[in-house]
Amino acid sequence: MYEIWLGLNIVFELALTALPWLGGAAAVWIALMSAALLRRHAHWREALPASLVIGATFAALAVWLVPFVTRSSISEMGYWVDWANLIGLSVAVGGLAFAFVWPLLTAVSGPRQDTPTSGQPT
Amino acid sequence: MTTRIQDATVTAAPTDIGRRRFMLRASALPLGAAALSAATSRPARAAVKTSAHIVIAGSGLGGVAIANRLSRELDGAKITIVDRKEIHNYQPGYTLVATGIWPVAKVSDRNADLLPGRVEWVKDMAAGFDPDANTLVTEGGQRIRYDYLVVATGLHLDFAQIDGMDVSAIGANGLTSVYPGPQAAQATWLAMDAFRRQGGEALMTLPATPLKCAGAPLKMTFMLVDRLREAGMRASSKVGFHSALDNIFSVKPVNDDVLRRWADLDVPVTFNSKLVGIDIGARRATFLTPEGERNELGYDFIHVVPPMRAPDAVKNSPLAWQDGPFAAGGWLEVDKDTLRHRRYPNVFGLGDINGTPRGKTAATIKKSAPLVARNLIDVIAGGEPSQRFDGYTSCPLLLREGSALLVEFDYEGRLVPSLPMIEPLQDSYFAWLMKYRLLKPAYMAVAKGRV
Repeated sequence: MYEIWLGLNIVFELALTALPWLGGAAAVWIALMSAALLRRHAHWREALPASLVIGATFAALAVWLVPFVTRSSISEMGYWVDWANLIGLSVAVGGLAFAFVWPLLTAVSGPRQDTPTSGQPT
Repeated sequence: MTTRIQDATVTAAPTDIGRRRFMLRASALPLGAAALSAATSRPARAAVKTSAHIVIAGSGLGGVAIANRLSRELDGAKITIVDRKEIHNYQPGYTLVATGIWPVAKVSDRNADLLPGRVEWVKDMAAGFDPDANTLVTEGGQRIRYDYLVVATGLHLDFAQIDGMDVSAIGANGLTSVYPGPQAAQATWLAMDAFRRQGGEALMTLPATPLKCAGAPLKMTFMLVDRLREAGMRASSKVGFHSALDNIFSVKPVNDDVLRRWADLDVPVTFNSKLVGIDIGARRATFLTPEGERNELGYDFIHVVPPMRAPDAVKNSPLAWQDGPFAAGGWLEVDKDTLRHRRYPNVFGLGDINGTPRGKTAATIKKSAPLVARNLIDVIAGGEPSQRFDGYTSCPLLLREGSALLVEFDYEGRLVPSLPMIEPLQDSYFAWLMKYRLLKPAYMAVAKGRV
């Protein structure tokens, strides 16, 4: 339990050092979500596969980039604990990318073929 | 002592409620970090009411951490912290600065941002202690009476024991030392950077006294070798390590592992070779053997690790050990289990100043600050200390840029990983990541009295 508490505090302190960035990111995310939610006939489901692919791509890239930006390299993964941490961080990066991309794609995607915009009854 | 305990009630529930509150707030981090910060800085409801006056000598990590804890967990206490320092330096970051990994600005914060508002801050240094009169005397002549005292002064870097040593010359003529402060760490990196471009002979040193961050001399050696290798100058350079002891680290498995690695890296070790003199201009160092033989060696780069001892304020006071292995350094005479003074029961010790086996690191304070706070509150409440310290300490040992060992051990020198899956002697990216990015946030949480 102590390690979990310590981990939460580390995340909190890290967040404090990046408050402007977090604030900006939160504002962008809220804007994207608002745009997607306010859009009539939003296509959340249609945007999901592409968003997942983009999120997974970010996660895969993060496997290489996270060691690089922390002044290490993938060749320094010494044992499974290192890999578990790297994969966990990469999944988090991918999840973050997904969280932004999904509302974005939903907001900008075009109308569905079967929507009333065609003028035909549904 | 004149302490009056008012309605001393010890309950865990308010603290738990405070923690639950914080956990809930932390879960909303991405959306409300600013609001969260303000909310968590609010003191939780106190568990013990008292009118005691508690004086804390020192505002390093130990002093600040316990000030935050006591101000939150005591209701009505007067808490005074005595230290002139305005800048709070993150000392575990010095090795990162000194090896070119971190910029120097990253290790300095303001003490004013870390101290709780309800604590009285006396901006003066402790010059002496009169525990029989429950009094601390400052350099400015103030006599501050206390009911309870926490000694967290840190230690003294005794460069004066090395003839010819001049701390202000660090960075010039290949003279380096990571210990004195951020500027010395930065100057050390500039000297290391210059040395790795030209190569030559490097001498790394280790004194015989207890050390803070005893892994630092080893980290500096590993990183110097790595920097030389990066620059393509390893083959044309020699790196030798001189230990004043018959080992290089007091924990045998770590000692043996590092010696094996240094054998592979061609870093010869000379044991029982104590740095006693230096001619900075001529770049010559003098080492002394236990038999009294003096050896003078030339160098292009030297890393000086000073002997360490208690500050004069403690060393020359009745609070210091009077006999035994810690008496020579004047270390604080505390019981190693409770960290309570062995002769003055209203005095506790925290951090580097303690005359205990091993453990002069920030990790020691992470584990012992909550314990000292709890034991002090137990005593204020009229009881006996309830917590026992196992001597936990930790050393993320840099091996090269990108990899480290995460070594954790106790008083007995047993390896005690926090998580069972951690392999202490395994080259590890995770250990590197901890040192590079995660330990300073952990340190800040300790300073604020949250972990």
